[in-house]
Amino acid sequence: MTDDVIPIFIGGENIALVPLNIENIKLYAKWENNPKVRIYSRNILPRTVEELKKYLEPSDKRLKNEVSFEIWHKKDKKTIGFGEVADINWYNQQAYLGLIIGEPDYWGQKIGEEATRLIVEYAFNELNIFKLKASILVVNKGSWRCAEKNGFTRVATFEKDMYVNGEYLDNYEYSLLKEDWLKIR
Amino acid sequence: MTEEKKDKEDKEEENDVFPFIEGERIDLVAGNSKWANLFCNWINNPKVRHYSRNIWPQTLEDVKKRFEHSPDRHIRDVASFTIYHKQEKRPIGIVGLDNINWVSRNANLFALIGEPEHWGKGIAGEACALVIKYGFTELNLHKIHAGIFSPNSRSLRAAEKLGFEKETIIKEAIYIDGKYHDNHRFSLLKRDWQKSNE
Repeated sequence: MTDDVIPIFIGGENIALVPLNIENIKLYAKWENNPKVRIYSRNILPRTVEELKKYLEPSDKRLKNEVSFEIWHKKDKKTIGFGEVADINWYNQQAYLGLIIGEPDYWGQKIGEEATRLIVEYAFNELNIFKLKASILVVNKGSWRCAEKNGFTRVATFEKDMYVNGEYLDNYEYSLLKEDWLKIR
Repeated sequence: MTEEKKDKEDKEEENDVFPFIEGERIDLVAGNSKWANLFCNWINNPKVRHYSRNIWPQTLEDVKKRFEHSPDRHIRDVASFTIYHKQEKRPIGIVGLDNINWVSRNANLFALIGEPEHWGKGIAGEACALVIKYGFTELNLHKIHAGIFSPNSRSLRAAEKLGFEKETIIKEAIYIDGKYHDNHRFSLLKRDWQKSNE
């Protein structure tokens, strides 16, 4: 695939956010089932291609409570993960930020940081979100550092919050207010 | 109806009415399908529908559908209340916000007093003031707008009294009783409402 057939929705420096694509469904299934990847995204049930297909079906909802993107690596011309604004509460103008770099080869390259920056800007400037939250396992250092670099503050630690591989792990809750984000931008 | 029976009915009625927002002469209460017949009468009443611009006959089934539970995962774009007259202990109209845009934080205000003997007493104004406060302080809206058609001079005055500003006139936007009429588009911004309610 080349750049001109990629329907870029938001362009960044190294990556772009593009709409989900049903042709990549097997790729999504691969990520969501990959033991290395799913441990941090806390996906404990096998995801079938059919399930994911259903998720991609056009909905007649006028206003969605989540918005998902593919993360497109511009130089390598490759889809490498997902990003989403999830659990949007339109009444209170809050949402959770979610991110999965599905290709472990791309971990540690600050791609998460850039993706977070693009999604945060989209949530505040286009969706008119007031406050973004992120829920991140304490062991998932890469993710919470990436949140902190984007201005998120740790607001809580939930002890023994998630059962992962035979033990309960602690979980951090992060949050970022639009008014604080505007100051550091 | 005997006194006793009437008392009993009043009691039942009270047990069935749940004020959501309390006003002076009226309360705003959640709709109840037992009032479907009444609503159906209002909506079809020639005098009432002339102003509410309803040109389609509405069956009782159509009206009942409005009370049906909408699936949870659909975010609602309407917040509608029944206007309940406190002294008379009966519903007299409908008021609320529709076309709620949750991203741009705006909505359209509507009101209908179904019992014409209550017109001209400022009851719609009282109901609208309660809904405006609700829209700004509970739904966190940025702007509330209203569209009023030329023949409805009473509503035009009421809108100005409530602090609405006329934004524009959309010419000959609606066909009522053989003639095209202008739509006067009014709006109220939260900051302006806050200033005048300090």
